[in-house]
Amino acid sequence: MIVPAGGVDVADGDATLVARLRDGDERAFEAAVDSLSPAMLAVARGYVRTRSVAEEVVQEAWLGVFKGLDGFERRSTLRIWVLQIVANIARKRAVGEARSLPFSSLEVGDDEPAVEPERFRGADEPYPGGWRSFPTDWRTLPQTRLLARETLDLVDRAIAELPEAQRIVITLRDVIGCGAEEVSEALMISDGNQRVLLHRARTRVRARLERYFDG
Amino acid sequence: MADSSHVEHGYACREVVELVSEYLEGAMTPEQMTRFELHLNLCDGCFSFVEQVRTTAGMAGRLSEDQISDEMKTKLLAAFRDWGPE
Repeated sequence: MIVPAGGVDVADGDATLVARLRDGDERAFEAAVDSLSPAMLAVARGYVRTRSVAEEVVQEAWLGVFKGLDGFERRSTLRIWVLQIVANIARKRAVGEARSLPFSSLEVGDDEPAVEPERFRGADEPYPGGWRSFPTDWRTLPQTRLLARETLDLVDRAIAELPEAQRIVITLRDVIGCGAEEVSEALMISDGNQRVLLHRARTRVRARLERYFDG
Repeated sequence: MADSSHVEHGYACREVVELVSEYLEGAMTPEQMTRFELHLNLCDGCFSFVEQVRTTAGMAGRLSEDQISDEMKTKLLAAFRDWGPE
């Protein structure tokens, strides 16, 4: 099994990092920019139309972070706090762009199955609800195949093609390595909705990989 | 969730595939988890499915993250210097 690479976890060092930033430590700032910006961009992209506007939102958010730093208290992690700043700025921009937000209950509410219903036995068959044929055991695939550039490109494309809310959640959770709480807090969605979006996203990408491996 | 489907091991496979994220996220009650793991122990198909989802998440973790441009980093650093303590 592949261990998720995840992102740099700044949470443990929050107090130290905040103290260094307050002292004007440039190296600490550069490290914070490198580790937090991908998640900030991903959140911003949930609200605004283009990548360039998302970058502007991230820039504006960093200025908000400087200003707020003295008042930062450890009621949440630094990352949650920063992502909430991003989300607030991005939401205002989205209203300006007259754009509907992706995290409306409508988009979370559809209930497509994780696996096509035809893969399971019908009610009038033996073992109703059981697999017609089992998914394959990917542990038997060579690591070189699992980690081939081509395979990862497929995962990248599959994520890019997901519905927006799913794409943002899987990017934050699996690509960047944020925790469930960080994502639901930053996007202001419930734990349950966060999990449903992650579930749909992961199972859709899984289905793409399955078609590719079983091809 | 309950329907007329196969319930020999508590959950039908069709239900297991919808519960996999609750399982991986640690969002199950102890009782649900016991039933879920009992099913996995007895069902190679669902065991493989859960592994596939886990592997998918792991592969996503190997993708490169979208990062802001170096130009913006430079701008931010300049802004940070301006802001810095007197």
